[in-house]
Amino acid sequence: MTTVHGLIEAREMTFTGYSYALIDDMAKREIRRALLKAVAVPGHQIPFGSREMPIARGWGTGGLQVTLSLLGPGDVVKVIDQGDDAGVNASNLRRLVEQMTGLDTTGATSEASVIQSRHRIPDERLNERQILVLQVPNPEPLRAVERSVAQAALMHAEQDYARMWLALYEDVVRRGEVSRGAGYPVMVNHRYVMTPSPIPRWDVPKLHQADALYLFGAGREKRVYAVPPHTDVVPLAFEDYPFHVEHFDGHACASCGSTSSYLEASPTDDGGLRYRCSDTAYCERVREGKETVQW
Amino acid sequence: MVTATATAAPLLSVQGLTTIHGEAPCAACVALTGPEADRNQCPECGSIVACAGVSFDVWPGEVLGIVGESGSGKSTVLQCLYQDLQPAVGAAYFGGFAEGQRSIWDADRRERRELRTQSIGMVYQNPRQGLNLMVTAGGNIAERLLDANWRRVGDIREKASDYLQRTEVPLPRMDDFPAFFSGGMQQRVQIAKALANSPQLVLLDELTTGLDVSVQAGVLDLVRDIQRDYGLTAVIVSHDLGVIRLLADRTLVMKQGRVVESGLTDQILEDPQHPYTQLLVNCAT
Repeated sequence: MTTVHGLIEAREMTFTGYSYALIDDMAKREIRRALLKAVAVPGHQIPFGSREMPIARGWGTGGLQVTLSLLGPGDVVKVIDQGDDAGVNASNLRRLVEQMTGLDTTGATSEASVIQSRHRIPDERLNERQILVLQVPNPEPLRAVERSVAQAALMHAEQDYARMWLALYEDVVRRGEVSRGAGYPVMVNHRYVMTPSPIPRWDVPKLHQADALYLFGAGREKRVYAVPPHTDVVPLAFEDYPFHVEHFDGHACASCGSTSSYLEASPTDDGGLRYRCSDTAYCERVREGKETVQW
Repeated sequence: MVTATATAAPLLSVQGLTTIHGEAPCAACVALTGPEADRNQCPECGSIVACAGVSFDVWPGEVLGIVGESGSGKSTVLQCLYQDLQPAVGAAYFGGFAEGQRSIWDADRRERRELRTQSIGMVYQNPRQGLNLMVTAGGNIAERLLDANWRRVGDIREKASDYLQRTEVPLPRMDDFPAFFSGGMQQRVQIAKALANSPQLVLLDELTTGLDVSVQAGVLDLVRDIQRDYGLTAVIVSHDLGVIRLLADRTLVMKQGRVVESGLTDQILEDPQHPYTQLLVNCAT
C-alpha cells in the first residue's frame, strides 16, 4: 500500500506551502464529518465550512472540496463537465487534482474510483467501489416556493412538502406536464425532498437503488448531501402524470450509433439537427467496440 | 336547525382563553381591564388584554356567532383557534384532535399544521390572507388536498371544480390567478378553499365586510346553503348583527375582551340583557 509520502517521493513532487490534496487536515476532517452525516441522513442537507478554492465559487468548489477531502493513495480520478472529459472546466479541475495529489486520472468511467461531475451521471453503470461527486449550484429544492432559508429548513423538518407539490400541480395545469428538465425534485428514502443537481431527467432513475455512493457538494451555498448505495430515490410525480425521461424520437448517436444513451442535439450547416452522446467516454468505448455495462 | 342536544359531547370546548399582548404583563392586567373598567389596556403595565376568560362550547352541526365592536377581542379568539396566535392562558379541546384529550394549544408544530390544513378551515376577512394570489384559484384549493396526500391531478381538479361551482366561481376562471379577481370572487374562492377537504370546523372572520351589498347577500346565501347541505359546524365572527341573525344558532357578545352575554341568537337579539347588547341591538335597527 502506497502512502501519501511514498506517492510524493515516487513522483518527485513537492507540495511546498500546501497540504496534500490542497485542503489542510483539519478542514478535510470537517468536510468528511459533514459527509458522514450526509450519508447517515440520506437527502438531508448538511452545512459545512466551504473554503476558498483556487477557482471561483459557482465553478465547482463544492464538488472539488468533497473530492479532495476523499482522495488518497490508490484512488483514480475522473472529472467530467456535462458528460465531457475534455471540457475546459473539467480539464482544469483534473489538472489541479493531479498536481495536488499525484494521483492517476482517467477518462474511462469503469477505471475511476472517484468521479467528479457536473450536470451528468455517466451512461456506464457505476459499481459499489465508485463514488460520484456532483457539483451543485443550488442545493435547496424548496427555494422556488420558499425564499426564507430558515423556513425551508423547518418545512424539511416537518416534511411539509404541500407547496412543492402545489408548484408541480400548477406546472401540470399550465403546461400539461411537470416541465422541470434539469434538477427534477426527488424524494429520498421516503423522507427528504432533494434536488439531484441539474442532471437531466434521463439520469434521475440512476440514483434509485444504485450500487455507487453519490455525494453532492454546493460550495457557494455551503451544503453537502448524499444518496448512499441502495437507497430509494423516487421522482415527485402525480399518479395520472407519471415521471418520464427524455426521448430522442428514435435518433441514434452520430458518432457511435448508440440509441440507449443520453443524446445532445447540435445544429448542422444545413439547418438540421445532429445527435451525439453527451457522455464522451461512453461514446468512445462504444466506438472502440468495448463492452459497456448499461444502467 | 340542528339541535345542540343531539350529541353527547361538544366538538369544541374553549375554557378560559386569555390573550395578553405586552412585554411583561403584570398580575393585575386581567383584574384592571374589562367592560366594567371600560378599557383593555392595563393601567399598571400598559399591556393590552385582547381577551380574557373566554369560555364556550360549539356542538357538532352548530353555528356559533361572536359579535362585538372592533377591538372587543372576537378576531383574537378566532386567531387563537386557528393557531395564528398562541394564547397566554386557556385550553381548547377539539373533537378532531387527540380525541379531545389534549388542548389544541399544546399541539406541536406538526400537529398544528395538520389542524390548520386538515381539521379546521379559516376564511379571513381579507382574502389576501387566506389565498395565495400568485397561485391559480384551482391551485389554492389543491394546496389543502395535496397536503392531505391527494396525488391524482384529475381527482384534485374534479374536487376543486365541484367546490368552485358551489361557490359560484365561473369554472373557466379556475386556472386564473385570484389576483385578477374581484373582491367578492376572491372571497368565494377563499370559502371554497376552506371547505374543500371537508374540515370538521370552519372559522369565518368578518366574511362579508368590505363587499358591496349585493355580493354580501350572495356570499351569505352561499354559506347558508353549505351549512344546510353539509351540516357545517362553524364559528362566525362579525360586527354585523344581520349576518349573525342569518347564520348563527347561538351567539356570544364580547366587549373589551370579555364575553358579556351569550345565548340563543333569537333570544339575544329580541331580549338583550346586558346594556352593551341592548345598545348594539338598538343601533342595528
